[in-house]
Amino acid sequence: MTCDSVLQLIPFYFYGELAPADEDQFEEHLHSCPECAREMERQRAMAAALAARQIEPSTAFLEECREDLAAAIRNGRPDRVLPSPRRSPGLWRLFLNALADSLSGLSRVRAPLGAAALVALGFVAARLTIQSPAADPVFHTVRSVQPDGSGRVQISLDETRRRLVTGRMDDQNIQQLLLAAAQGDNPAARLESFGVLKDRADSSPVRDALLNAIAHDPNPGVRLAALEGLKPVSAEQDVRKVLAQVLLSDDNPAVRMQVVDMLVAHRDDAIVGVLQDLMQKENNNYVRMKSEQALKEMNASIGTF
Amino acid sequence: MASNAAEAVGARLSPQIDSLIRAAQQGDQDAFETLVRTYDQSVLRLAMNLLRSPEEARDVYQEAFLRVYRNLDSFRFDCSFHTWLYRIVTNICLDHLRKRKVRKEEPSVIETTEGPVDRMDGFEEGSAHADPERVAWNHQLRDRIENALGGLTPRERMVFEMRHYEGLRLRNIGEILGTSEEAAKNCLFRATQKMRSELGDFV
Repeated sequence: MTCDSVLQLIPFYFYGELAPADEDQFEEHLHSCPECAREMERQRAMAAALAARQIEPSTAFLEECREDLAAAIRNGRPDRVLPSPRRSPGLWRLFLNALADSLSGLSRVRAPLGAAALVALGFVAARLTIQSPAADPVFHTVRSVQPDGSGRVQISLDETRRRLVTGRMDDQNIQQLLLAAAQGDNPAARLESFGVLKDRADSSPVRDALLNAIAHDPNPGVRLAALEGLKPVSAEQDVRKVLAQVLLSDDNPAVRMQVVDMLVAHRDDAIVGVLQDLMQKENNNYVRMKSEQALKEMNASIGTF
Repeated sequence: MASNAAEAVGARLSPQIDSLIRAAQQGDQDAFETLVRTYDQSVLRLAMNLLRSPEEARDVYQEAFLRVYRNLDSFRFDCSFHTWLYRIVTNICLDHLRKRKVRKEEPSVIETTEGPVDRMDGFEEGSAHADPERVAWNHQLRDRIENALGGLTPRERMVFEMRHYEGLRLRNIGEILGTSEEAAKNCLFRATQKMRSELGDFV
């Protein structure tokens, strides 16, 4: 094999897509050619660099998707709303029905499906919903099912009660709920809450929550949403002070870019020093460019020298 | 490199999978749900990694399995269920990628309902104790990788993702994308060349 043909084959060798005979020749060449061996190393290094980018969806996220799908199929439409209210015969009856349904369904696919039967049973049991027209829906997640040999079954389950609260944005209770959600554990809910609160930064508790989020929220998407909410008040000194701190400490370039935009939208002398400090440490080319441009427009030097 | 668990499970359980499909075709809801659970994790992972957006990945997941649900009757066992399912999934993902290409945008951050997923976790970025030079290098590498992936065509991106991250064989990828193994091979070659040229002296 020549160097040219080996270079063409590197990705296929790496991915195990060469025929065994080609693989042998490829390896033979690699042993005797340091140049090609180096190229092979580069391929490996690239794969190692890319490995860090891989995301594994969390189990909770996967479960959410499964529930959405089950709801969409039940409702006959692809959405993510609660299952439509229906009168329930009770958890025990539902569970027995589900059990009976699962077993009858599986009896049609017969014996080798022992393990699959348990999975299917888990799926059915895990989506039981108890609801009466007057009450809030209660979601039961069955954790384990243990028959005790005497015909009785012990079921361990978690219950989650979901409530629907509606109200106007100027309702204090609604605002309090939104502020609680904005500081809760669920990043999606935090994001949505800040989305709704974004025109209310003139209210002091909302502004505090927004400032707290840009400085401390672990999720960059939430920090960006909170920044959006602070735009109308980005000329005010208390806000600018926090923005400057965020600019110099946030590890996300998208956040830093947004902050630079907000700071330079209302120019004052104080931001020159902040941008100069930023230039000393900024690694992201786009953020550097933005900051450099702003300093130039303000006739300031790029560094503090 | 990830091995494709769903494909492996699918191959090992082929007779059982066929039984499940037949049962689901006859309206057995539980069989359908078991079928979904056999494959859905890898479908969601593919969508998450291709689209880098949990919301879009969730949409792909739902749309794909709803299409499976509605069209399962038309599945005639002339290819593996895995291939049939992935044809649906890759078509939906390619649509998303093409739309994004037109919009010229790509989500820069990943949020999940469970917490932030920093796609650069592996680079130790932002760690208070990290060596500043290392952090700077990681920053630049991250930007380069994003640029490199962003520079691939949707089809190259899809082939690269399925081969590099999902561990599917090129022959299978060709089958899924309705093309030949040779065409999938060319796509992978172009993708790796572009990646390596974009990453330049980083690798």
